[in-house]
Amino acid sequence: MQYLLNGLPIGAIYALVALSYSLIYAASGVLNWSQGDMVMLGAYIAFSLFQFFHVGFTLALLGSMFLVGAIGVVVQFCILRPLRKREAPPINVVIATLGVAIVSRNIALAIWGPEAQIFPSPVSSVPMTVGALSVTWQDLLIVFGAFCLMGVLHYLLKKTRKGKALRAVAQDRYAAILMGVDTNKSDALAFAASAALGAAAGILIAPVFFVTFNMGAGIGLKGFVAAVIGGLGNIPAAIAGGFFLGIVESLAGGLISSGYRDAITFTLLILVLWLRPSGLFLRKARQRA
Amino acid sequence: MSRVKNWLLPLLATLIVVCLIAGLAGCNQAASKKVLKIGVVGPESGTAAQLGQGQHKAVQMAVDEINAKKAAGDWQLEVFFEDDEGNPTKSASATNKLIQQSNVNVIIGAINSSATLADMVVSGRAGIPQITAGSTGASITQQGDKWILRTAVNDEFQANELVKYAKDVLGLKKVATFTAADDYGQSGAKLLAAAIEKQGLQYVASPTYNNGDKDFKPQLLNVKSSGAQGIFMWGLYTEAALISKQARQLAISAQLFGASGMAAQKLIELGGDAVQGLVLTQTFLPDSGNQAVRDFVAKYKSKYQENPIPHAAQAYDTVYIIADALKRANSTAPDALRDALTKTGGLKLVTGEPKFNTQGDDIGKYLLITTIKGDTFELLKTVSGS
Amino acid sequence: MIKRVMRKKIILLAAGAAILVLPVLVSNNYYLHVINLAGIYTLITIGLNLLSGYTGQVSMGQAGFFAVGTYVAGLLAINLNIPFWAAALAALVITAACGAIIAIPAMRLSGPYLVLATVGFGEIVRLVLLNWTPVTRGAAGLTGIPLPKFFTWQCSSESQFYYLIFSVVLLGTYIAYRLAHSKVGRTFAAIREDEVAAEAMGVRVSRYKTAAFILSAVYAGMAGVLYGVFSGVASPDNFTFDDSVTFLCMSVIGGNRSIAGAIVGSFMLTGMSEALRALQAYRLIIYGGVLIFTVIYMPQGLVGLAVTVRKAIKGGKDKPASAPAEGEWKP
Repeated sequence: MQYLLNGLPIGAIYALVALSYSLIYAASGVLNWSQGDMVMLGAYIAFSLFQFFHVGFTLALLGSMFLVGAIGVVVQFCILRPLRKREAPPINVVIATLGVAIVSRNIALAIWGPEAQIFPSPVSSVPMTVGALSVTWQDLLIVFGAFCLMGVLHYLLKKTRKGKALRAVAQDRYAAILMGVDTNKSDALAFAASAALGAAAGILIAPVFFVTFNMGAGIGLKGFVAAVIGGLGNIPAAIAGGFFLGIVESLAGGLISSGYRDAITFTLLILVLWLRPSGLFLRKARQRA
Repeated sequence: MSRVKNWLLPLLATLIVVCLIAGLAGCNQAASKKVLKIGVVGPESGTAAQLGQGQHKAVQMAVDEINAKKAAGDWQLEVFFEDDEGNPTKSASATNKLIQQSNVNVIIGAINSSATLADMVVSGRAGIPQITAGSTGASITQQGDKWILRTAVNDEFQANELVKYAKDVLGLKKVATFTAADDYGQSGAKLLAAAIEKQGLQYVASPTYNNGDKDFKPQLLNVKSSGAQGIFMWGLYTEAALISKQARQLAISAQLFGASGMAAQKLIELGGDAVQGLVLTQTFLPDSGNQAVRDFVAKYKSKYQENPIPHAAQAYDTVYIIADALKRANSTAPDALRDALTKTGGLKLVTGEPKFNTQGDDIGKYLLITTIKGDTFELLKTVSGS
Repeated sequence: MIKRVMRKKIILLAAGAAILVLPVLVSNNYYLHVINLAGIYTLITIGLNLLSGYTGQVSMGQAGFFAVGTYVAGLLAINLNIPFWAAALAALVITAACGAIIAIPAMRLSGPYLVLATVGFGEIVRLVLLNWTPVTRGAAGLTGIPLPKFFTWQCSSESQFYYLIFSVVLLGTYIAYRLAHSKVGRTFAAIREDEVAAEAMGVRVSRYKTAAFILSAVYAGMAGVLYGVFSGVASPDNFTFDDSVTFLCMSVIGGNRSIAGAIVGSFMLTGMSEALRALQAYRLIIYGGVLIFTVIYMPQGLVGLAVTVRKAIKGGKDKPASAPAEGEWKP
């Protein structure tokens, strides 16, 4: 039972990252391999905001989200736009985002050094125990924060104009262009939103995991796996996939084997890809070109 | 014609360029003075960077001192550093470079056990003595390789003393281990298991983790439900700090133990409250009272404005061991050097009185059992000899 | 016409001579070591280029096949004292089998899904190597992999390794070249251009795709075998996702549609990696930057760039286009 509880905060983080992947993929057909590193950058930038400007947690969160969102826009503009103009094969786009990941990871290394940094948490990490189960305020904050962000995103997508434009593009890019949607702007928005979400995920998880320059790599990969398991391109499916993966990992690690935990995750991934490539939580198998 | 030329041309070009570079750089001036060249390999970047950088600084300081006070007779020392990022392939390349390019006569390296093993192949094939001041993996000195020596503290010694302490002083009966899934962690796990059996304690759980893992709660839950009173960790400081933190978050109150691999100030910094009271073995504490230690710390502090870490102390001693051997051998020939090194004795250094056994392990090291109190390590007990 | 054929022969001879004579010219063992390493990586890159040239797909799990090659050959040699060539053969067979296994789910996938599956495979291999201690020696890895011996010739020095490695590289290059120019190669090209059309023409696409996978796996496996005896030690640390990424970079930056690209890519990156040792911290930033730049502005890699430049220099003469058009496979 405790395993389930443990899986929730991790699952929430995976859900946020998976969401970001699906958002970008749906909106622009791009697989953004650097998503995980946005998580890392978010944590580091917030850390620096703490250190040098002594801002409070919420302010650091918002500030970092904003800055990383801006970085996302820059990436989209400088890298994805030229690629799209040149009609590059999709695999080249993936490789380009891989390059972004490598560069951002090593720039972070150069700026902040190889040592792990502690991230102060606004809430305590003393456990509250109920019977055999314990949970910390930290965990609750992560899950709560994640849900808040998802709620905000939902609102933005459903109610605002820009959000509706994004959804239109996701559904049918050419029709949206015909209807006058500026796809460059919507792509940029998708990137900004995903980057900001990633940053938030990083800040939420940082107190638990420390801030290191390679924290993004693992989370990014797992988030991607979660998105695919859930059903790539669909946001609710991504969220479900994220929580699913978090809980499965927790259970597998505890009950089956800690060393093989990741191997189990990847085997699960390959099985899903093989037997139900549209994802576990998607109803229809959509045609993936 | 175009088709074949397409791939021949680039191939030719590459070969020609390589030949040119090789030719240009081929001239190496031979040193005619009495100079011993030392090559140092260590992780100066990456996750174990603090260890590699500590080694670098200490070796540099030792070389400067020895040259200044002529502690090696008429010989001068020259040192070359290479960063291996803790990666075995890069470490082997770095060792190769030091031996082939810089013509070093002895190698100090590496810190990560898997890197040292890879380097040993290179130094063994080239016939150059190699001393590791940081690797504690057991297999290093069990290969029958006659070119490798180790001045890092013996893992077996540490494991035995930790378990003994747990039983004699803390009165624990049920214990668990939580070890890294790399060579260092797993050789430690084996030694701990043997020690636990020898002391007659109950061994209730033994999960492992991968370096770089961030979530240890599943394994910790297993340990919690096994009822262990003590958890022996064996790995590096970042993971150890995280494990301690997460253990406390799960309301696990068992006593935590660790070994020299995690003995760094960063452990306390990252672990904070969670690592208070953690008991670990190390070879060196800045204020452990010994005169040699005090001198070393003072010199290091005035030069680098920070306290030295155990790996630094071990590396520092290693250079002195080399200088002493050099004086006795009075030559840079590999065999002479190696023989002189193996016969080291009578030195009283910062981390012990070095003496090598037939396998190449230094069995004269002091072992300090320490605990974390506040934001420093506090000495509990000193054990010497193996 | 005759002049052309003569020129071709001369160039071939010159290249052959240069390759044969290299170890004599390069006396510095360190450089030879780097060249040898680059040669090993070239095999992997050729395999990758075959895969991307033939099926337009990309694998980010080559480190997995690389590892299988090293471990199978290494373990057989250490535990059972099997001679090098037999161990190598066994390793190739097992690597091919792994390629076939991963090809089964891979057949149904494309694009990002395939990439993810290959990543998953690479990681699974590494974790198995790390945790299956009784067989693979786990974290400690393999030590004391014996040096290869052919009848009486013991291979132990850098220059001897050079001859061994480059014989294999030449063989691999030749095989790839012949394959590309055969009927099989043309069928592959057809699949890459338009899978549906090829299927309609009666080509069993999934069979060919599986073959391409197995081929790239075998190349990586052979590289692994060589790596094992070359370095004498191996551990799961050598075969991480980062290594797969590096191999992919070599393929893309060199040019992933030609054999020349494979050679250029692996030599360049291996050389750069050593040369930029001093700039350690910035090395990877430079890599990433070059990768991004290449993919956007030089999607054919360096080789493609060279060819385009040559075309531009030759000007508007009536030469037939020799540069691979976007999407064309050119050995």
